[in-house]
Amino acid sequence: MSMSQSPPAAAPATYDVVLVDDHLMFRAGVRASLDPSIRVVGEADDVEGAIRAVRSLQPPVVVLDVHLPGGMGGGGAEVITACADLLATTRFLALSVSDAAEDVVAVIRAGARGYVTKAISGPDLSDAVRRVAGGDAVFSPRLAGFVLDAFGAAAGDVATGDDELDRLSAREREVMRLIARGYSYREVASELFISIKTVETHVSAVLRKLQLSSRHELTRWAAARRLL
Amino acid sequence: MTTTTTRPPGAHLPLRRPQTGRTVGGVCAGLAAHLGVPVGVVRVVLVLLTPIAAVGPLLYVWFWVTVPVGDPADAAAADRPAALSRLAPRLRDPGRGVPLTDIGVGVLLIAAAGLLVAMRQGVTPEATWVVPTLIVLGGTALAWSQLDAVQRGRFFSQAGGRTSVSVVRLIGGTVLAGAGVFLLVGQDETLDTLVRSAVAALAVLVGAAVVLAPWALRLVRELGDERAARARESERADIAAHLHDSVLQTLALIRARADRPDDVARLARAQERELREWLYDDRKVPGTSLAADLRRVVAEVEDGRGAAVETVVVGDRVPDDATEALLQATREALVNAVVHGRPPVSLYLEVGADQVEVFVRDRGDGFDLAEVPGDRFGVRESIIGRVRRRGGTATVQSRPGRGTEVHLCLPVEEEQQP
Repeated sequence: MSMSQSPPAAAPATYDVVLVDDHLMFRAGVRASLDPSIRVVGEADDVEGAIRAVRSLQPPVVVLDVHLPGGMGGGGAEVITACADLLATTRFLALSVSDAAEDVVAVIRAGARGYVTKAISGPDLSDAVRRVAGGDAVFSPRLAGFVLDAFGAAAGDVATGDDELDRLSAREREVMRLIARGYSYREVASELFISIKTVETHVSAVLRKLQLSSRHELTRWAAARRLL
Repeated sequence: MTTTTTRPPGAHLPLRRPQTGRTVGGVCAGLAAHLGVPVGVVRVVLVLLTPIAAVGPLLYVWFWVTVPVGDPADAAAADRPAALSRLAPRLRDPGRGVPLTDIGVGVLLIAAAGLLVAMRQGVTPEATWVVPTLIVLGGTALAWSQLDAVQRGRFFSQAGGRTSVSVVRLIGGTVLAGAGVFLLVGQDETLDTLVRSAVAALAVLVGAAVVLAPWALRLVRELGDERAARARESERADIAAHLHDSVLQTLALIRARADRPDDVARLARAQERELREWLYDDRKVPGTSLAADLRRVVAEVEDGRGAAVETVVVGDRVPDDATEALLQATREALVNAVVHGRPPVSLYLEVGADQVEVFVRDRGDGFDLAEVPGDRFGVRESIIGRVRRRGGTATVQSRPGRGTEVHLCLPVEEEQQP
């Protein structure tokens, strides 16, 4: 996993988290495996309950499953969409047992700051929560693979300006490929001779493109799965 | 019928004519199951009722015609909400093979034919209505008997209703019943009148058929749609049952080997992979997807060595000889990483327009290619040699504290986009 790295420097002591998952056993497991510095202040097991809990508690981080019962069947993405006005202060980290592209991309496009699989270890998950709370994006190798797939991995097709949403820059593409190969942010930084901060900037830029881009393939891909 | 389903006292199985355990039409067996009494009792009661204005046989025929065929226990299960029923299909006891009904109808027909022949020979039964009535009855029984064999819903289906036997039954029954009716109605008429009225009746039938055809067609089509939906549903239920079955077995295995963590991890991993594939992936047609082939290779390595490989695939193409060689080399590299390296092991496959790249990475201390003895066939031949012979490149990069990464790159011909 790419998340096994030290937390950002100026980290506050504790983080409040709302945990949303429809499996009681899994919630208990996550609660037990999280660092003591991460406090689970609320839990929910369906879309309506999640929206209520997030609105009333307004935690810095919500860890939520992609597949949730209730609502209009939109699962985690529906929760994020319903809480879109809180996105500046409340960040969402998607947690899924599915690593199918359509499931993951739906929550990311709704506004989640990252995506990890449920096979993640306790320390890695705690680290991902801290990272998301700090405003960074959390990319698993799988998510990096989706990005490369959606934006086209062909080397010639690169963005030239920063404001271009529909293509990755050559550097962003390199970062994504390294993450897909299983490199942590720190390893990416040392491989490309850049700082970790720069890696985080690139990753955040890619996340923004993934959320906002109307790139042809991405749109077609999402439309085929009725994500838009 | 033996059913082990626990039912609340007072609840009855629905009235159906079962196809197993029947003697003639399954009426008695169905009534017995419905009322919860032994079959023998029902049969005796029906026989006892016979002297009273033939109530027994009439009741029997009435039930035969109106009660649908089916297993009462299945019908009870079908009435339950799907969410509460078991997903796995029930086992059933095989039915008896002798077609008693067909034999009975056949005997009746032969008797009728014999009577007809006898009449031609000059033997005249006392009551002239007896023979035509017998013929009508026989024909009707023949035509209706196919509803007995196949349920009404499957009447028109390729598998059930349109078999040659049922067509013969229908046509034979219609002809016989028609002839019987004519003999019955036109007992004293001349042949000429009979033929003319037959033509008139036929014309009316054709007219009615033309008017009713669209309605019948729509009925057939709706039945077809409904059947297709039911088939899809049952296919899905089969898959779910298969999955749950395999999960149960894995859990049993895990419990049996709870003291061997390696085995437990391997079993859990294999089960997880299978579930994931069925639940979230659209499966590819075999032989059309390099990504699917790669996942199969990964599955083999994971199962064989009890390790997890984090696999990421970007792009896809139709496999050919060159990519097959690349897959073999990837397999060797994976085994190498799992056996000699340290987890986690990462695998990345990128399919570009003119090349396919593979990265296999582990977090072990790695090895220096120059120090690998020449007799170690593994790395030199099966990984590097394989790819180089296909015009590709293979490099092994090993750095202390950074793990080992094998990079394979193979040029491929541009694929024709469909």
